[in-house]
Amino acid sequence: MSVQKEYDRMIEMEDNLGFDKYPLKDFDQIGRTNVRRLDGKEKASGRAEYTMDIQLPGMLYLKFLTSPYPHAEIKHMDTRKAEALPGVRGILRYDDPDLPEVADLGGHGPTAEKPVPKVAYFEGEPVGVAVVADSEGIAEEALRLIQVEWEERPFLLDVEKALETDAPLAHPEIYPENNLEVEHAETHGDVEKGLSEADRVVEFKVTRRLHTYVSPERPCGVVRWNGDYPEFWLKHQRPHENKRAISSWFDHIPMNRVEMHMPYQGGTFGGWTQFPWNQGPMYCAALLSKKTGRPVKYAFERRGDFYGGSMDEGNYHFRVGFNHDGTITAVEAKAHLSNPMWEGFGPGNHFEDNTRIPNLYAPRKVIKVNKGPNTAVRCEQLPNTMSFTLVMDRVAAELGMDPIEVAIKNDGAKGHDMQWLTERKAEVGFTPRDSLKECLEKGKAAIDWGNKWHPPGTHKLPNGKMHGIGFTWTHEWDDSCGSGEIAMRLERNDGTVSILGMRCDNGVNAETGYCQIAANELGMRLEDVFYRPHTDTGFFPMCPDSSTNTGVNGWAVRHCARLLKAKILEAATSPRAVTQRGMYPPHFPDMKPENLDIKDSIIFVKVDPSQKLSVAELVGTSAEAGPLSFHELYGAERHPFSIPLFAHAYQAQIGCYKGFRPKFCRQTHFMEVEVDTETGEITVTRVVNVNDVGKVISPESCAGQQYGGTYMGVGRALFEEVVHDPATGVMLNGNLLDYKIATIEDCQDIDTHLVETQQGYGPYGATGIGEDIATVVPALLAPAVYNAIGEWIYEFPITPERVLKALGKIEGE
Amino acid sequence: MKERTNKYLCPYCSTTFETFEDLKNHALAVHAGEPAPLPEGMIRLTLNGEKYQVQVQPEWTLNYLIHDKLGLTSPKMFCDRGACGSCTVIMNGRPILSCMALAIECDGNTVETAEGIADQEHPLVETYVKHHAMQCGYCTPGFITTAKALLDKNPDPAEAEIREALGGNLCRCGTYPQHPKAILEAAEILRDSEGGE
Amino acid sequence: MKTFAHFNASTIEEAVSLLRRYRGRASLIAGGTDILGKMKDRILPVYPEALINLKTVPELDGIKEVDGLLKLGPLAILEDIAHDAVIKAEYTALAEAARRTASPHLREMGTLGGNICQDIRCWYYRQPDNRFPCLRKGGGRCYALEGDNRYHSIFGGSVKEGCIAVHPGDTAPALIALDAKIKTSRRTIDVEDFFQVGVSKTTVLDDYEVVENIQVPRPPDNTKSTFLKFALRKSIDFPIVNCAAMVTKSNGTVKNARICLNAVYVKPYRALKAEAFINGKAIDEANAEKAGEAVVADAKPLQHNAYMVQVAKVLVKRAILSCKQSA
Repeated sequence: MSVQKEYDRMIEMEDNLGFDKYPLKDFDQIGRTNVRRLDGKEKASGRAEYTMDIQLPGMLYLKFLTSPYPHAEIKHMDTRKAEALPGVRGILRYDDPDLPEVADLGGHGPTAEKPVPKVAYFEGEPVGVAVVADSEGIAEEALRLIQVEWEERPFLLDVEKALETDAPLAHPEIYPENNLEVEHAETHGDVEKGLSEADRVVEFKVTRRLHTYVSPERPCGVVRWNGDYPEFWLKHQRPHENKRAISSWFDHIPMNRVEMHMPYQGGTFGGWTQFPWNQGPMYCAALLSKKTGRPVKYAFERRGDFYGGSMDEGNYHFRVGFNHDGTITAVEAKAHLSNPMWEGFGPGNHFEDNTRIPNLYAPRKVIKVNKGPNTAVRCEQLPNTMSFTLVMDRVAAELGMDPIEVAIKNDGAKGHDMQWLTERKAEVGFTPRDSLKECLEKGKAAIDWGNKWHPPGTHKLPNGKMHGIGFTWTHEWDDSCGSGEIAMRLERNDGTVSILGMRCDNGVNAETGYCQIAANELGMRLEDVFYRPHTDTGFFPMCPDSSTNTGVNGWAVRHCARLLKAKILEAATSPRAVTQRGMYPPHFPDMKPENLDIKDSIIFVKVDPSQKLSVAELVGTSAEAGPLSFHELYGAERHPFSIPLFAHAYQAQIGCYKGFRPKFCRQTHFMEVEVDTETGEITVTRVVNVNDVGKVISPESCAGQQYGGTYMGVGRALFEEVVHDPATGVMLNGNLLDYKIATIEDCQDIDTHLVETQQGYGPYGATGIGEDIATVVPALLAPAVYNAIGEWIYEFPITPERVLKALGKIEGE
Repeated sequence: MKERTNKYLCPYCSTTFETFEDLKNHALAVHAGEPAPLPEGMIRLTLNGEKYQVQVQPEWTLNYLIHDKLGLTSPKMFCDRGACGSCTVIMNGRPILSCMALAIECDGNTVETAEGIADQEHPLVETYVKHHAMQCGYCTPGFITTAKALLDKNPDPAEAEIREALGGNLCRCGTYPQHPKAILEAAEILRDSEGGE
Repeated sequence: MKTFAHFNASTIEEAVSLLRRYRGRASLIAGGTDILGKMKDRILPVYPEALINLKTVPELDGIKEVDGLLKLGPLAILEDIAHDAVIKAEYTALAEAARRTASPHLREMGTLGGNICQDIRCWYYRQPDNRFPCLRKGGGRCYALEGDNRYHSIFGGSVKEGCIAVHPGDTAPALIALDAKIKTSRRTIDVEDFFQVGVSKTTVLDDYEVVENIQVPRPPDNTKSTFLKFALRKSIDFPIVNCAAMVTKSNGTVKNARICLNAVYVKPYRALKAEAFINGKAIDEANAEKAGEAVVADAKPLQHNAYMVQVAKVLVKRAILSCKQSA
């Protein structure tokens, strides 16, 4: 293959905002069931290594002070007793002269933050001082010996109070005027006009209480200095960003001398990487490791993990105009969001992405309070999915209509109808299919919608509880935003394929999926392909195991496999080895690459498959004269050698976040509940998930995101709430007993279905699934409970207390 | 009157004596021929079938001993307060939480971890892999040990019994529906293999 | 955890003598699932200087029925109680309470003695590093009273202390319904009199007193007992409200009912008004409902826990109704 051709192909890859123009003919590995997980044995046996498991000789443990107050400044700090404690090896104070004013602690773009701040803006914030000691226990004792003189400041927990004119300032150093960080709006059409022209208008308010990740492995890291250069073990989802930040901490140490390892990660679920404050301890660990000459490990307390919250916390106010036939004419969705990162998100985007609603106004106020920062917890779309579900289902309820009818009536995109959407599908190259209808058909059949849906509050079960059923829908995301690169090489001697890319495993089985794509594309047996979890090879995939695995990295793997296959076939038809005296004839002497193909790791002649050669035979056995030398029958030659077979590819997309691409794949979800109207207890008895993922790579992995997301979503809807003491601003339930995530017994049947319309922007028409279900399911509880008891509950989580209030069994607030 | 607190403690049985002579007589009479008692803080443990004799501190949890000191990575620290099941090991046949057990109180006990279960080629490991009863994998060893303890006690569990037995194992990835499938299949394999012998 | 001295007791007497030696600065440890959490979080102003292990005392974990008396050692494992055939059949409320306690793992470690002696779970009290030095720690005020009290007492605070933290045990109300007695190293008392609120105290045990066994008389004929629990999750959680009942019937009416709620008051809350109402009456929906209403007539809910009143009422009703069958 000429360099020019390879270059052309790369250019083509960048033009990837349309459809997959070169799909495979046969999907023999992609979409297969019963593919053994690469990580399975390691994880089931407990031998999989996580950053929390790393122990190095002479390792010290870092602990940091956390603020006992939600808003306070350190006036004075006496660390002398701590310094004198045997076993304490280093202390880093906020006023250390070596500390820079600010450092890049970003995981979501570069940031400039104080690595050891002296002002805390929320209770539990790492502040003031970090200690390293021989053991965690000694470090903890040292912290107890530190005397701090705090100046407490007034604090705010509530967004509405924060907006009052005489409210104290939550972050005076950063926002000296008031607590409103910024205000944004999604808008099109004229909402007032749309409301005035509607047959009916409904108005309602919603509150979502704070909830959070619960990352099984706490935020943690290890650092060691080798000579002048640091080596890191990290639990993060964007290692390339860590590398940039780490280098900058040490006078821009050359990036090629920062060594990184990404062991398996115990469930990160998004934005821990995005909080600068949580990377302050990593900074301290790096600095103290350098100072002490010893490896340093840091880990948050379990409680510390609870301070990063979800960015849907806040209050929402809706006004919706609609006609008697179920068409919605206008949506006004106003959100007051508490502490979201990156200026918040939603609540109007899904009306843009999924509907023909002509008039939309969705402003959000981003408000600072004295609680931890909020970001994408599994997904930033939570405000959108909640708004979308509650508006759609409320309109149906007001009209007494089947919510599925309302969905079909309003399906579209960016204010346009289905005709427009069909044209857009054709325009980018897809064969248009009605994704929503296909998802509805499967879902309705699976849940038996026709027989189960009933007017609200009318179905009492033999066990005395009220039966309810709910439905929601939206589009499928996350569709290949971002960029990443990987490489692939054939191993000498046996011809197996190694995919080279930095691991960042959160458990979605992406590495196995990459191998399926590569094997399918190359014609290799699946067992001959392996994702080599290199520590820092320089090849950074896009969040290689969180979002956009298939969407970005799937493309890169596909490109790379195609380049490598071309090279293999080129090699099979080119001189087999080169020596001082000449060349050995090709394995397939009179063939061109296009005459050959590969299947089951065997290269064969297309017109005569009996002429064949295994890929292992092609690469040959290496010999004493270096890794490229041959050791075989050409004994007379001193040093025959062959070229290594290696390929590199990438995927880079721009613009997808900006929303100019309409999204074509849809998902539908159904939930059945039983409500005990005497106690307010809700039991989720059945959930049906239908996701049009475009194209399935691994059916079991997709299903894993569905039932797994459903459990997370059900827990979020029923129980999950971070509670702060109103008087002191102290988090009350920062542990796994008082903050409740769903157990196996908290959801009954989950039935998962996949649809493949091949209308995604990923390779083969695939789109994402991992962020979706846990994000869509929580709000679905509200229409299901409404169907059971005939009352809307708009305060999440929907606890027994709130059910009893809605039923009038106890007095409301 | 000030209570006298210093007494002579028998190193074999902890009986106390007023005088050294009494203790000596007691030791000779009752404990003659017994092997010398272990030093304080020394415990004996059978871990995955192997004998260990380890010097521990009173504040060490069993989790700290196994994970941090003996280097078995499977008992995972998730909640550290007995509320999640990730650190489960099987001790004397019971699935217990190693973060809430003191190592010093485990003298003489038999402990099994996920590594040991994998090494005996218990079918659970393969059925867990097959059914994707794991995602991030952090809580998985705790499920494996809990499931193994259940099957040891109840070779033919009903699905409801499995769900009840796993009620203390939190999985944030939500892999829950796969565990009963994997455990039922492993139970079947075990029953078949025992029936065939 | 900060270090401490550790002793393996061989006998109860030795445990008592060690407690005396440490003069209130040592703690007993059985299953360990409560005390180790407290020590890890350093919730108390005073950290124990020593732990005295009771697991090394022989035969404290016994479960046996002799002459119509169920004798349970304080170290009887909750999971064993939950699955004991005799207890399930004859002392149903206790088996069910044990089965609904915490999680399977905690039941495999936790003991009956530990369960009845456990400390409160108030989230102010339990905050790490003694963040809230409340009444129960010898401090000056209750932080829950004006804070988030969604899981606190609906029947007021303890008179002397003003604390509104509830007793969180699942087995305690079952033992009270079953009219059990507790034998300690110095006395035998009704289980109902066992619970007492004080600084760092949930029981009447003095600093040097150890539970030796728990004795439950076999319920008379025509008796059924039951235990119901309301919590947010189906496993792991402490109760928001629970209720145990033992009902003896005669000629179609209730001859004797013992009903006890827990997690609604600073101690297990004997539903005397419900008992008084239902005694002599037939068990039906209307009577059970009224019995439930009678109990909560005295309720004084706080700002955030009115729902617990409703739940308590319903649990009393349902507990009575579930004693209807076959009793």
